[in-house]
Amino acid sequence: MSQTTTKQQHAVLLQQRKRKPNLVMRFLKQWDIQLMVWPGILLIFIFAYMPMYGVLIAFMDYNIFTKGDIWANPWVGWKHFEMFFNAPEFYTVMRNTIIISFLKFFIGFPAPIILALMLNEIRHMIFKRVVQTITYLPHFLSWVIVAGLTSSLLATENGSINMLLSSVGAISEPINFLSIPKYFWSILITANVWKEIGFGSIVYLAAIAGVDQHMYEAADIDGATKFKQIYLITLPTIMPVVVIFMILQIGSLLSAGFEDILLLAANPVLRPVSDVIDTYVYRVGVSNYRYSYATAVGLFKAIISIGLLTIANYIARRSGNSLW
Amino acid sequence: MKKVRKPMLLVVSAILVLATVLAGCGSNSTGKNEPKPTSTSNNIVEGNTEEAPPASDVWEFGSEPLEFSMYGHYSWYDVPAWDSTVAGKWLIENKKLNIIPISAGGNHDTKLSTMIASDELPDVIWGDRGVDVTRLYEAGQLVAFDDYLDKYPNLKNWMGPDLNLLRHPDGKLYQFPNWYTGRPAGNAGYVINKKIYEELGSPKLETTDDLYSYLTEVKAKYGNEIIPFEPHRAIDMQGFGVLYTAFGEDVSYSYLNANMRGVPEGDKLTSVFTNDIFREAQKYISKLYRERLVSQDAFTQTIDQVEEKVMQGRVAVFASSSPTTIASKAHNEMVKTDPDSGYFMIWPIHKEGLDKNKIYPGSYTSLGWNVSVITKAAKDPEKIFAFLDWYTGPEGQSLLFFGPEGKNWNGFDEDGDPIFTGNYDPIEVAQLQKDHDPIMWNGNTGFIDPAKMKYEATLPPAEQDWNARYQSEITWKTSSNATEFINMDPQPDSEIGIIKQGVDDLFLEAYAKSIMAASDAEVDAILDKAEADAQKLGYNKLLEFRTEIWQANKKLLEKK
Repeated sequence: MSQTTTKQQHAVLLQQRKRKPNLVMRFLKQWDIQLMVWPGILLIFIFAYMPMYGVLIAFMDYNIFTKGDIWANPWVGWKHFEMFFNAPEFYTVMRNTIIISFLKFFIGFPAPIILALMLNEIRHMIFKRVVQTITYLPHFLSWVIVAGLTSSLLATENGSINMLLSSVGAISEPINFLSIPKYFWSILITANVWKEIGFGSIVYLAAIAGVDQHMYEAADIDGATKFKQIYLITLPTIMPVVVIFMILQIGSLLSAGFEDILLLAANPVLRPVSDVIDTYVYRVGVSNYRYSYATAVGLFKAIISIGLLTIANYIARRSGNSLW
Repeated sequence: MKKVRKPMLLVVSAILVLATVLAGCGSNSTGKNEPKPTSTSNNIVEGNTEEAPPASDVWEFGSEPLEFSMYGHYSWYDVPAWDSTVAGKWLIENKKLNIIPISAGGNHDTKLSTMIASDELPDVIWGDRGVDVTRLYEAGQLVAFDDYLDKYPNLKNWMGPDLNLLRHPDGKLYQFPNWYTGRPAGNAGYVINKKIYEELGSPKLETTDDLYSYLTEVKAKYGNEIIPFEPHRAIDMQGFGVLYTAFGEDVSYSYLNANMRGVPEGDKLTSVFTNDIFREAQKYISKLYRERLVSQDAFTQTIDQVEEKVMQGRVAVFASSSPTTIASKAHNEMVKTDPDSGYFMIWPIHKEGLDKNKIYPGSYTSLGWNVSVITKAAKDPEKIFAFLDWYTGPEGQSLLFFGPEGKNWNGFDEDGDPIFTGNYDPIEVAQLQKDHDPIMWNGNTGFIDPAKMKYEATLPPAEQDWNARYQSEITWKTSSNATEFINMDPQPDSEIGIIKQGVDDLFLEAYAKSIMAASDAEVDAILDKAEADAQKLGYNKLLEFRTEIWQANKKLLEKK
């Protein structure tokens, strides 16, 4: 090769000539790192993408005895979607889904952030650790246990809350909390926040730990109060984390909950306020072997969720913290 | 640093790759498994044809080892470990029978669907008659019993021609019934707390008015300490359903059940919501609920909570479709510490002016409760049937109720009842019956009731078994025959099935709402609205569908 060729030309030529092998070369060069990525991709492909063709049964009349051979089922077009939109429960179910998920979002999302900020200000380390541990423990309990606990607490006969209220004279007769529709949303949200607040705060605590301590020192010298420090230093610094988690949360907005509602709303009187998409799918679809119907409703929910996620991400991108 | 990290990376990634490969293998092998069972089920068909020619060859249960899997299709039920029960252990040792339990894990609908979809059906399924059995039948997954009936004759002999009611449209028999009977059976009724009753001066408790004033007195005297009326799980109707029967002669609790939801008038089924007797009962119950005379947790409580209250003697009146199980246990426990405490049953409550002998809180069908089916996954369906038939016969039933032969009983007398020995231990027998309850899959009421009574009749009333005593004195006499109302469920994914599902949801909601209503007028308003909504859903079509089946059933019953 001529020594007179300039370095730049050489590089361009090399790149052009070796574009294809380059990919392999690059792959071989980072083979150890690639090895870590591929198992994950493979897992997602096998367990999340391959079974996805199953959504096709939303457009068929699926018979479970056809087993894996879904092509044996007749196509029925939009029949199941139409049935859902025309179902008498449609309005109630959608309303409850939206209200409950928005309540969970507006109360359940900020709660761990506030807890994290509060925990961060505790100077007594042992106390902080104890509080942290106690608050995140309920996350590991299943909803069966939490719902059992809640219904014993709220029972009219020997329920602690009723006993407490009547001993301080706030009520004369015990209140039947779990049978009165107007209390249901509050009970549901409270139980949810109680269960998840501690675990949710861990990631925010980690983000707060990464905040440069010098900024607080500088703020102290400038005479900023604790609240001003939180508001002007801590919050803006952890904002990217908050935004990412918010986007993810918005993506699951229509998942208003399933186990919690199914278990807490045992009394059918509560159905007008408790029936959400997931409980409806379970009751009407899965329990009655109407798999196609259940799939259609699930697909409808998934499409709206993707839309919400995209919108949320679009908005977030303008603040520079988007997911993609 | 880099040099140290690289081998680590290598190890970690190698593990991850391995995990993926294994996972891939796993899914592959399940994929491969799929056609496999079909091939075994083909074998079974072949096996069947092989066995079919020597039809006269009767396989004697116990002559060869037998093993099969069994699954109970209920959320609240799991087949117990076979060697964990006295009978199971005895059968392993003496009859070479092993049963492999398959658990529903509390989610039976999903479990059965998964087993169907993955072609891993259990050999035997124990569950309710109706929809699920029909589904399996339509898919050709069940083994017909017709070839075995004469070879193993216990079922045929004890059940008689009613067996024909269990046949499927192709005329074959696929279901082995449980607690089938030619005579009234049932446990429904009212249990009274003896101590409270006596402390209040043992007032008359016959009419609904008596009951109301009794409950008021309980509430006045004991306040929140005692629950005046405990209806068990009201979400399944239970005690409230029992109260409903107090308001009409020959009215049956089963009218309210999900497989009926209609009241017979003439030769037609009519709406529950507009029925006068139902409305009167709802207003009465609603009044009790409003005045806090019934458990306020009725619609939310679990069975455990009910049991706890009854066991502690914290209820004055306890009513349900089967209060005897919990009440007898509580009674036996309570009299241990205080012989004057405990529970007793009363003759069913009736509305003033009605004939108390025409009040039927309980109902029974000659087909009994539920059924066992043998699926085509079974290798030796004939042998399984031979076992089931032995199990429902005198030997099997005596084993379940009185333990292995030799201790409590020995041989049978000329009536076919077991001969009880001098070693008969009533406490052991009671314990055996309780422990064996989950493995009584094909109880033979016609055999076991007289057998139980044979022993009890020799004792004075106070020493008789609590259950047996009140069953023979009260609950059997106050059970009506509901055999004509069987098989009334449509397939859930059919048009009528979708209507049924809507009506069921609506009924449960209206049922709970009307009981929690603030006034009688509100009860009417709720039920009026429910009727209007139900009609919109197509309730009438459902009632017509059921009326047809009912009439067909009646014809079948007349024929025999």
